[in-house]
Amino acid sequence: MPEQPVPRTGASGVIHDLGYRPYDGPRNGSGTIASALFLSGFRNAFGLGRSGKSKVLPFLLLALNLLPAVIIVGAMTLFNANELPLGYARYASATQILVSIFVAAQAPVLFSRDLRHGSIALYLARPLSSAAYAVARWAALLAATLVFLLVPIVALYVGAVLAELDFSEQTEEAAKAALLAVLLALMLTGISGLIASVSVRRGFAVVATIAVLLLGNGVVTAVQGISDEQGELRVGEVAGLFSPYSLYRGGTSALTDELFLTPPTGAVMTAAYFAVMVLVGIAGLAGIVLRYRRIAGR
Amino acid sequence: MEQVIRTRGLTKDYGSVLALDDLSLDIGPGITGLVGANGAGKSTLIKVLLGLVPPSSGEATVLGLDVIRDAAAIRARVGYLPEHDCLPPDVSASDFVVHLGMMSGLPRVAARERAAEVLRHVGLAEERYRPMGGYSTGMKQRAKLAQALAHDPRLVLLDEPTNGLDPAARDDMLGLVQRVGQDFGFSVLVTSHLLGELERVSDNVVILDSGRLLRASQTRDFLDATGTLLVEVIGADAQTRMGHALAAAGVPVQARGGLLALDPAPELGLDVHDLIRDTAFDLGVGLVRIQADHRRIEDVFADA
Ligand SMILES: Nc1ncnc2c1ncn2[C@@H]1O[C@H](COP(=O)(O)OP(=O)(O)OP(=O)(O)O)[C@@H](O)[C@H]1O
Ligand SMILES: [Mg+2]
Repeated sequence: MPEQPVPRTGASGVIHDLGYRPYDGPRNGSGTIASALFLSGFRNAFGLGRSGKSKVLPFLLLALNLLPAVIIVGAMTLFNANELPLGYARYASATQILVSIFVAAQAPVLFSRDLRHGSIALYLARPLSSAAYAVARWAALLAATLVFLLVPIVALYVGAVLAELDFSEQTEEAAKAALLAVLLALMLTGISGLIASVSVRRGFAVVATIAVLLLGNGVVTAVQGISDEQGELRVGEVAGLFSPYSLYRGGTSALTDELFLTPPTGAVMTAAYFAVMVLVGIAGLAGIVLRYRRIAGR
Repeated sequence: MEQVIRTRGLTKDYGSVLALDDLSLDIGPGITGLVGANGAGKSTLIKVLLGLVPPSSGEATVLGLDVIRDAAAIRARVGYLPEHDCLPPDVSASDFVVHLGMMSGLPRVAARERAAEVLRHVGLAEERYRPMGGYSTGMKQRAKLAQALAHDPRLVLLDEPTNGLDPAARDDMLGLVQRVGQDFGFSVLVTSHLLGELERVSDNVVILDSGRLLRASQTRDFLDATGTLLVEVIGADAQTRMGHALAAAGVPVQARGGLLALDPAPELGLDVHDLIRDTAFDLGVGLVRIQADHRRIEDVFADA
């Protein structure tokens, strides 16, 4: 026979009811649940709300990524420079190894962990649909990647304003860099998220993501270098469509004065660069949503 | 009586495998055991009821809600304990249950209170701040049960909660399942491939065989009708006195080890459980338990 819940009077005179208490307070709808999932995912991407060990890598990468900006700002105030030695939009290209390691290492936190440990079953048995789960996870990684890309831009911008560089020019350049950062983050999130969501093993996801991002860029850069030397610029322009960082460089050339190898020329090619950037982002998200729909039906 | 689960002609076809075959079930409140061999379709039925796996044909409602149209509403009021591992090793049970409570729609503060409460009920009050990777299998199963209870569901679907447990831990888990159904007042659907362990805790038993309904009945019904009952009593000379009294009442009794084995003939037309209880009371002996003789019960279904 199970014990009957008996209210007991403790030494303090307080009644401790050891029986089960039902909950009749408010319950949140899907929107609130999804934003809670987004927020916890965003924090997890930086190791917050997880073990101390999990914070080391993201914050180390964030610090390394910020370091050049801090040095630049320091040097500018010291030497009274009248322009930034490294443009806002060029910054992400210069630190692309750090950016790649960040998304490669942190996407599995959001996309592989629940698959590896089976906890995905517990999420899918709750009110959010598999698509809402996928979008909330994707948005969390997108936001984390954006923070990673925007923090140094903001640091450079604050430094430039403090150094009394031309305010409207600096604002315009920083805003363009922010727009390009959104496009880059969309691509990186789609690619790294999709890879992490199909691999249960974290190590595989990390290696595959870095290979796609950095090796892909290496191959494209080599093709662009050769086509530049040979004077076959169009070949380099087309090759640039095949890797996120070369797309980003192409977009940067189109919007700013930054110079890169074989930038897109002509309205059609330029439009193609931006279209492909958006399409890669959308395709990544769609792939992630489909992936979780399949998992839910198993 | 309110229907908790209702299916009509429910069929799930996984290509070559027919996991559920024209299943029509009515499950009311209380604890229902869902029994079947490996591959009988128990987990598939649960996933259909959660609205995760779409049925190939037929229909099903849970708490009056349709599994296809109202899946999100069902999942908001149902708790689920999966059969496989689902606990991240580096997270504490407390953090995990709070988070999943919020994923079921509880506001953060309420989720914290509920997590502490359900973890206490499942017996993880002390260990709840430790990472779950260090838990024993028994503790893991209890943490899995806690997350299924966090949002105060009206129905819990427990897929093999005793899987991998040693006999003592198995008894603890079955005791918890019984408390969830009786004291907490939830409806419970609990699966196992052992009929013997479910008949102890469940009010009703549903038996699946290759996706088809083999039998659905009140646990008592089929035990009284065909099974042998084992009775354990304590007290001075209790077993002998009890045996004589029951034999005098017309029930064939044999001593088997420390237990009395009763073989009531169905045509006797009396409620054997009541008779046992009343006899024990009259004799002043302590009634420890009445349980079905497992071998016999299993045989009933093997024959069916
Ligand atoms: N996703 C799937 N794809 C194909 N076949 C499946 C799938 N899921 C289950 N099955 C098949 O459907 C049948 C029923 O499986 P199910 O998991 O529901 O059985 P079960 O009663 O839960 O068994 P167990 O006791 O082993 O957990 C089995 O033959 C299984 O192989
Ligand atoms: Mg199963």
